[in-house]
Formats: sequence, structure tokens, C-alpha cells
Amino acid sequence: MAGSGAIQMRDSDEVVLRVESLVMEFPAGRNQVVHAVSDVSFDVCRGETLGIVGESGCGKSTTARALVQLPRPTSGTVTLDPGADGQVELTGIEGEALRSVRPRVQMIFQDPISSLNPRRRVRDIIGEGLIIWQDQHPDVDVDARVDEVLRAVGLDPVVAASRRPHEFSGGQCQRISIARALAIDPEILICDEPVSALDVSVQAQILNILEEMKERFGLTLVFISHDLSVVRNVSDRVVVMYLGKVCEIGNSDSLFSEPAHPYTRVLLASAPEPSTVVDASEVAIGDEVPSPINPPSGCRFRTRCPRVTELCASAEPVMRKMGPDHFVACHFPGSP
Amino acid sequence: MATPLLSVTDLQVGFATERGLLRAVDGVSFDLAEGQTLGIVGESGSGKSVTAKTLMNLLPSYARVEGSVMFDGRDVRAMAAERERHFWGVEMTMVFQDPMTSLNPVKKVGEQIAESLRVHLKRSRREARDDAGDLLQQVGIPEPKKRLTQYPHELSGGLRQRVVIAMALACSPRLLIADEPTTALDVTVQKHILDLLDELREERGMAMILITHDLGVVKGRADQIMVMYAGRTMEQADTATLFSEMRHPYTEALLETIPRVDMASHSRLVPIPGSPPDAVDLGQGCPFAERCRYCSASCLIDQPSLEQHRQGHACACHAPVGTDAGAAAHAANHETGVTPAGLDMGTFATAVGEKT
Repeated sequence: MAGSGAIQMRDSDEVVLRVESLVMEFPAGRNQVVHAVSDVSFDVCRGETLGIVGESGCGKSTTARALVQLPRPTSGTVTLDPGADGQVELTGIEGEALRSVRPRVQMIFQDPISSLNPRRRVRDIIGEGLIIWQDQHPDVDVDARVDEVLRAVGLDPVVAASRRPHEFSGGQCQRISIARALAIDPEILICDEPVSALDVSVQAQILNILEEMKERFGLTLVFISHDLSVVRNVSDRVVVMYLGKVCEIGNSDSLFSEPAHPYTRVLLASAPEPSTVVDASEVAIGDEVPSPINPPSGCRFRTRCPRVTELCASAEPVMRKMGPDHFVACHFPGSP
Repeated sequence: MATPLLSVTDLQVGFATERGLLRAVDGVSFDLAEGQTLGIVGESGSGKSVTAKTLMNLLPSYARVEGSVMFDGRDVRAMAAERERHFWGVEMTMVFQDPMTSLNPVKKVGEQIAESLRVHLKRSRREARDDAGDLLQQVGIPEPKKRLTQYPHELSGGLRQRVVIAMALACSPRLLIADEPTTALDVTVQKHILDLLDELREERGMAMILITHDLGVVKGRADQIMVMYAGRTMEQADTATLFSEMRHPYTEALLETIPRVDMASHSRLVPIPGSPPDAVDLGQGCPFAERCRYCSASCLIDQPSLEQHRQGHACACHAPVGTDAGAAAHAANHETGVTPAGLDMGTFATAVGEKT
């Protein structure tokens, strides 16, 4: 947090993914530890798009990777279908058990070209997951399914399936990545900066495809981006992260119309076309994000916060409720 | 009007490839007055960076350049032939996108800044070092004395870009070209860097060319904007005019395709269908015709020229947005459901939330 606490968690049958007290630490040599993600908790409801936004180094990608157990989190739990009969705690299983759950959570990555094997044909890239999946679903027709998902993302299977990734543009490669993720019929799709490497004109195509696929295949999305306006466009609920902690979490409309955390306000004021709900003077102090090896005491944003006081250094703010489904971890939330 | 500081006329840059001549820049012209900012906007491959590199004489020797570039009454291309040493880096300098690759990783920051002061302004080692410290202070780097003895890898991305800016400013240039100076940086840092460039420009009265793919970045900062596509100028106007009465379908499409923070969640983005054209094989019509809603039959065979319909606003289009011709072309395409270039008008209605 900026803060700790779990008041933002929802108690609903609709929750499909619950992340509790997720911690990710990496050794940095000389007995030092990088605190990449520290005590992050959130949940995602069925059919919802959860956006995670923050600057580089805030732990958003690490969080995404921890969701699919690549690598496993240091501590904390990731649970699929919490509370239901078929509840699966991903952090508690391994081997065959984990492998059998993997198709339910798929991922697409930032760089579409390097995430596809350049030596394989598109049909094999997309079909590989299906061939493995066949063990459990012997009646699946691999070729027909590949054609179906290619068509779904707007590529012609006759032309595309026999080509290799280098014959496609970045936008088309990202479509292939989406098709690959969709082939094995996942429930949750984790998108790690899927449009950051694309030109603006192609970005909208990919965002629209994701939105269509979500509807067509009944997906739940976790969408990670550093671009506030992209997150605003796709998300129902938004998590704002800074230096491994959650600053603010809430439904998209209330978070963007009444941003409560100074960091969220700084982000909104710094955008090329600043949001009208914040004042242009609300900017961060300095460019330097503190090191995650030795994060600041108390609130982690305090070194750059325009509202910092002594309290911020001594006590870590606890998540508090700002409105229905809007939570913030700050001692002095709201507009200044 | 006084003679502009920089005057580019009909600039053409081509590269010979196995498949034929690649026209990276095709007939670009603009004037830039002292103290003004020109924003060049376009996607990757639109020729904006090649334009900048041509001005800086940084193109490889096999590039074919034609057209004239006049800087303060002097012919820059003739200077290039004479290998003029004290022009680039002194009167005209450039800041690149990636600050790490534009700094020497094995040389201390202070030495790198001092180098151009020593070479161009003939400062002594000590003077140059003191000046370098002052420059770091001017670009807002805390503890400049300490930073002088650090290596680039010890600095964050934002600080590195400030160092690069300090290097570019060392010899008090009259024109600064910034090629996507903030694309590699986080938003909070981006704002600081853009504000800094603006302040420095004002303080020193230098001219600036700001190259970006983001119309939002130039909106509040440039005096004039040039929109490029496939090496050609599509629209050119002063900033206020461009945003209030844009005429080129590409400019309009660019603006509609970018999500904005104050739009509601899941609001529909209008995509630009297809992808940018192949610069080797551009064909004879308008390069944007295949992706354009306003495309008419003549767009496919006849390349529109850049025409000024009033002082300070030029546009290269047969059926500009907001004109009768544009409205008619759009209505006709809407009627038939497909543009003359074979583009399904339904693509523009790939509505998010609109169920099929």
C-alpha cells in the first residue's frame, strides 16, 4: 500500500479468482531481497474485466505471472472458484493436478512477436495446447478448433494457418497469441500489456477483439497496462499499484471520477491529456521510484507524495472504504 | 513574415531495396520560425524519424535525398557535403527515444556532456566540467556534482533522458529535435520531461521539433502540427486549427482510435482497419485510401496533393472531413456498405457491447 488490509474483498458466489496476501520476493544477492509484490489482495468476478495499472516496477506483471504460478509466489494464496465445491487453490497444488487446471487460466504477453515460436507454423502454434488437451477431451477436432479461433480473431485460416510468425505484422501476431490462448477454452485470460508494443491504429483493433472474445467465449479478463486511458476503456474494476502495493481499488467509474489516492491523482494529472477531475498541479515529486530492495517505511508512495506528513513514514495506511466498491490505502484520501 | 529559422522544401528520401525504391519521405515541406515548436505526428513507418535524421545528417550514405533544407539562410545539405563540423551538435541538436542507447555506457556522465563543450566551444577540461554541472542543474537533476562522476547505468530512465537533454543543450542550440523523447518513460516522468523541454525552449528562445505518435502529447505543446502517413504530409496546421477543424480522414481516425481517460468504460473505439501500406509499392492513389471511410473512386487512381484551403491549414485529400465532398463520399460508401477500395464499412462499426 501503499497499505494493508483486505476490506476490498467481496463475498459473492460470482468471484472466480481470489488473490489473498500475495507476496513475491526475489533474492538480489548479498542477502538482499527485492520486494516485488508485498501483500496484495484482490478478487475478480465472473465476466468482469479487472484492470491493473501502475508504472514500471510497480509489480503488476509480477502479480500477473504469480496468478499462473510462473513462478510460484513466495507466500499468499491464489484460488479459483473460491467457496464453490470445485474450489482449487493454485498455490497449494503441483504436478499433474496443477497441469490439469492450467487450461482454465491463459495468458497473452506484451511483445507479440517474441511470444510466438518463429520456427513453427501458426497452425502448430495454436494447436499445441489442444493436442496436449486431447488427453482429457478425446473428441476435440484440433484442425477445426484452430480454424474456429483464427476466424474469431479476424484471420483467414486458409491464408494464415500455414505461415510462420515473421510473415505477420505486430497486430496480426497479437491476434495469433489471442487465438492460441482461446483455443483451449479458458475461463480467465490474463493480458499483460497486450497493446503496449502496438501502433495506436492497431491498438484499437486488438482492444475491440478482446472485448468481442470476452463476450463470445464468456471470458473473465485480468488486464494489465501502464496506460490509464486503455485501462479505463476496458475495465469494470481497477487496481492501482505502486512499488508492490495496492494504492486504490474500485469500480472503474468511481475510481476515475473521484480518484482518492494521491498516486492515482498524480497519474491522472500526468497523462498527455490530463483528466478534468484532478488539478494540473497534482504531480509527483521527482522522477525516482525508490528501490524495491529497500522500500520506504510506512506508505511506500510517501517519498514522492505531494501530501506527505510524518504519519506517513511511521504508519502504513490500511485499506479503507471510500464508497460502495471503492477502497483506498491512504491516510489523507480524497481531493486535496 | 521574417525568414524562418528552418525551411524544408519538397524533401524526398529513398532507400534502394531488393524490391525497388522505398520512399521513406515523399515531398515534405515545412517552415519553422525561431522559438516555435513543430509537432510531427504519425505511426511507425510514417517517415517522421527519417525526416528528423535527414535534418541531422544522420542517414546512411546510401540514402537518396532530394529537396532543400535551409537553416538560417544556409543550405544544410551543402554543409553535409563539406562535412561541416560545428553545425550539428551546436546549432542543431537532437534527443533520441531511448536514453540508454544514446549514452556511452563506459563513460562518466560528466565527461559525455563536457565532450561537446571541449570539441565545439574549445573549453578547457575544468571549465567544461563546471559547465556540465550547471547544465545538469538546469535540467533539474538533483545533486549535479555527484551525478557528473556516475555512469549512465546508475541513473533511472528519467534522469538519463535529462542527461541526454543536457548534452543536447550544451552548446546552446537554436533548434532542438526531440524524437519520441518520452516514449520509453513512465507517464509521471513523461510529464516532467515534456514540461522541462517546454521551459527550456521558452527560456532560450530556441525552436523545437517534437516527434511523437501520440496526438495528445503535442496537443498542448506544439504551435504547429504536421500529420504524416506513408512518408507524406497528410495535414498541416497550427495546433488550435487542427483540433477544432481537422480535415484529413487520417487525422480524424487517429484521434478517434485513441481511448481517453474521460470516456466511459467499454466505450466503443473506432479502429483504423488494415495496416499501414508497403512503402516500396505505394501504387498511384492516396496511400490511406484502403483504410479510409471517405474513400471515393478517384482516391484509388489519383494521389491528392497537399493543398492550402486557407492560410496555415493544408490537407492532402480529395474528400476532406467537414466538406460537402467528404460528406457525399461517406454517405455513398455507407449506402453501398463497401468503399471503392473494397473495405467493408461494417468494420468501423465493430462496436464493443453491440451484440450480434
